[in-house]
Amino acid sequence: MGAIADVLRRLRALVHRRELEERLDDEIRFHVEQQIEKNQRAGMAPAEARRQALIRFGGVEQVREQTRDQFRAAPLEHLARDVRYGLRSLRRHPGFTAMAVLSLAIGIGANTAIFGVAYAVLFRQSPLADPGTLVNIYEAESVGQFNPMSYPNIEDLRRGTTQVFSGIAASAFAVAQIDRAGTAATVMGEAVTGGAFALLGVEPQLGRAIQPQDDVSRGGHPVVVLSHGYWQRAFGGDPHVVGRTLKMGRRGYTIIGVAPADYRGGLPAVTPAFFVPMAMLNDVMGIDMLDRRFNHSMLVKARLAPGVTRVEAAHAASLVAAALTATRPEGWIPGERFELVPTSEVQVVPGVDPLLRAAAWLLIAVVGLVLLLACTNLASFLVARAVDRGQEIAVRRALGASRGALARQVLVESALLGLGGAAAGLVLAFALLALLLSIDLPLPYGMRLDLHLGLGWTTLLDWRVLAFTTGAGVMAGMALGLVPAIHGTRADLGSALKSGSKGSDAPGPLRWRNAMVVAQIAMSLVLLVGAGLFLRSWQQTLAVDPGFGRAPTSVLSVIMPATRSAPDAALQRTRRLLERFRTLPGARAAGLIWPLPLELSSSQTDFTIDGRRPPPGRETFRASRATVDGGYFDAAGMTLVTGRTFNDGDRSDSQPVAIISQAMARRYWPDGDSLGRILRRPDPAEADLMVVGVVSDVNVRSLGEAPRDVVYQSYTQGPPLPGASFLVRTAGDPARLALTLVGAGQEIDPDLRVMQAMTMAQHLATSRLPSQIGAFLLAAFAVLGMALAAIGVYGTVRYTVAMRTREVGIRMALGADAAGVARLLASRGLRLVLVGGAIGVAVSLVAARLLATLLFGVGTFDPVALTGAPIVLGLAACLAAYLPARRASRANPLAALRAD
Amino acid sequence: MNKDRSDVLQGTLDMLVLRALQLEPMHGWGIAERIEQWSERVLQLGQGTLYPGLYRLERQNFIRSEWRITDNNRRARYYSLTASGRRYLNESLAQWRRVSRAINLVLDVTAVS
Repeated sequence: MGAIADVLRRLRALVHRRELEERLDDEIRFHVEQQIEKNQRAGMAPAEARRQALIRFGGVEQVREQTRDQFRAAPLEHLARDVRYGLRSLRRHPGFTAMAVLSLAIGIGANTAIFGVAYAVLFRQSPLADPGTLVNIYEAESVGQFNPMSYPNIEDLRRGTTQVFSGIAASAFAVAQIDRAGTAATVMGEAVTGGAFALLGVEPQLGRAIQPQDDVSRGGHPVVVLSHGYWQRAFGGDPHVVGRTLKMGRRGYTIIGVAPADYRGGLPAVTPAFFVPMAMLNDVMGIDMLDRRFNHSMLVKARLAPGVTRVEAAHAASLVAAALTATRPEGWIPGERFELVPTSEVQVVPGVDPLLRAAAWLLIAVVGLVLLLACTNLASFLVARAVDRGQEIAVRRALGASRGALARQVLVESALLGLGGAAAGLVLAFALLALLLSIDLPLPYGMRLDLHLGLGWTTLLDWRVLAFTTGAGVMAGMALGLVPAIHGTRADLGSALKSGSKGSDAPGPLRWRNAMVVAQIAMSLVLLVGAGLFLRSWQQTLAVDPGFGRAPTSVLSVIMPATRSAPDAALQRTRRLLERFRTLPGARAAGLIWPLPLELSSSQTDFTIDGRRPPPGRETFRASRATVDGGYFDAAGMTLVTGRTFNDGDRSDSQPVAIISQAMARRYWPDGDSLGRILRRPDPAEADLMVVGVVSDVNVRSLGEAPRDVVYQSYTQGPPLPGASFLVRTAGDPARLALTLVGAGQEIDPDLRVMQAMTMAQHLATSRLPSQIGAFLLAAFAVLGMALAAIGVYGTVRYTVAMRTREVGIRMALGADAAGVARLLASRGLRLVLVGGAIGVAVSLVAARLLATLLFGVGTFDPVALTGAPIVLGLAACLAAYLPARRASRANPLAALRAD
Repeated sequence: MNKDRSDVLQGTLDMLVLRALQLEPMHGWGIAERIEQWSERVLQLGQGTLYPGLYRLERQNFIRSEWRITDNNRRARYYSLTASGRRYLNESLAQWRRVSRAINLVLDVTAVS
């Protein structure tokens, strides 16, 4: 007898169930009647005959039940019945059901969205072939540095490590002016070495990849591979895109392929729009990116040759570095080293990863807390249900239902709630993700933080995330259902049957609920305090005065295509741009600077001062450097402390001069005699500078940093600038003026590559972004957590109120006033809130220390956050406790007495 | 409970039921009566075992059932052996005889010594 045939028969029986039941009933009736007749024939009176026959037959119900077991698909049918029963009983308590499902939905939804984002940003690796043998290579002047490499250094490294690496792939960001259908847009892409795609094992989804023969002669290979996202965005996923031409700058590039959707380029999380051969980088950018050893802009991956360990490879690389230090080519910093890091251990950049991981774990911890809060709501809901059903369960057990069957039913009900919560949570997660993806982060250079890889959230919510959601829902439901399942079915039958439906105080489960409310209050308080700290931190960054750009100002950042013209012509063009901007309607002042403060790139210069010794272990002093024009300080709203600004007299053939920051003047010349001093520069390519002025301090690298030493040079003295940011202070609308700047600039120089046109406020917002995101995300989750805790308090108070309905009726009948009764009922809830609050404050004090690295300008013991959060939570909890209490106190005493 | 009467041995119920049906199709009550008679009232089928057993044997395809009218014009469910039931009965009987003979041999030997 095949097991399958048996199952089929059982399934068929499931369908013909009613028929089988009737048949069995008929058979049993017939059997008993036959026995009665036989008994009567034996001489019994009819009543006695019937009685004996029934005794003889045994328990009709048991026989029926045992026989049924033979024809039904037992486990399946039990489940179906439990599900039906569970749904029915959940429908009977719509309020509680809605509360439980909503709680879980919030918890699971938030978790799914955050898990999806964290997974996409942090844990998803590009689909590189055999990642175990790949290493990332960085340059480092000191321990803990992971700088991008320069192209000449990569070439030297490649030549010196052919034994240990089977290949080295480099990539660099390439900002191109792409002209499509007459409209030009600045698009960020990537230049890759010819062997990169093959080395990393990235197969194009369309056409072919960039190959070594595409990367031979400078400017000789105008071919481009589109990223999946850009192909979708700009070409609508056109399958015949290969062979078409893309106008980048002044040249047409032939589209040779489309990269796969999951390849995210050299720097994960920021997916480039296109890939061009490295030999075309200068052509695309319009400036030299390849020939200067000090131009650190290449991200490098290398594949270890078979059988070579990372330590052996690192040794070979260190020999190359030592040789470079010995020969000292221009731009090589003596003592510099190459750092090898396994590719699989790098999320974005080793220097940034710890912070990213900390932020990701913080987020995961926060949403985990939210889920925990949601689960405690569900748990207390289930405990309440178990208590409510104490009598029902006792009756059913007395009637012979097994404990296992009852427990299974409670579990099925919890799992149903879990699934419902998961389904609703998924909907919420979709909404949250759509919201997250629609947020327009003010990232520089038109960069796209590609969470969705251009495919939208369908890929983000992949099976792992879905498994996580349903798993979380069902597990939460089952785990939490276990407590009432064990609790409820163990209850002593006699006392449960006697106690009646309401009015029993059932101390056990109630203690459970109380503990959960305390835990909820504590957890949501921790969340609120954390959110408070981040909001304060963000508030602090808003209050920071960066020292520049306070007035409405437009910023136009451009790349100067200087390689195609003589230095003199470039200078003239820059001067004409400045003059044009200065005379635009609405412009108050205009100036240029490179690099723009608080941007990704920064520049430094080494110098010595007569009569002062550099710090131990160093041969020179070091300061930040910026190149400006004479009008910059006015345009940026900085003040000239002493001396003069640059003017037309500062030419390439006159004395090279410098203006220094006030902090630098104070450090080196505390007596105020900095003017006329000489900064001697050991680099033969850099002239010695005479200090002619001192200007106010600004934040250069990060908001709120300590004042730095800054050396400003004039753009008229020194090599042509690779790029510039033009600042135009205005009385009008800086956003509109920024657009005017683009047009006006391109009239003067059609080759001008606009990186971005923005307002100073937008630029400053970018540097506030981390604390802003942190503050708002955490605040959002804290509010969610508080809502969940309030639901918990509300549920508990409502539940105790329901249990004490009769008592309330008696009190009111005896003359207690409504307000007093409401106070009495709410007081229990509020006691729990107090206990939870005290625990929460204690935990917050400890937890806040863990946040120290992510906070700015706020101590971990912040009185505002530590008092504000409990007050907010306290108000919410009071309201949650008071509402049901007041409702009960308004009830008609007679109705309350008659309840049950 | 009368000591002379005993519940049907576990596992032998199938054999008894099939044996009872070997001669002619019968309804449940008939089967119970037949076994009781044949066993001289020693074996009494508890109804709690008979009907589950019948439904199980039908599921296992050893017997089949149909509605028929009894002699005194009543509707009853009649069970009859299937081919595979017949085969199964023969195998079970052979097995039973072998085992019971073996057991008897052992018991008799023990009684002698």
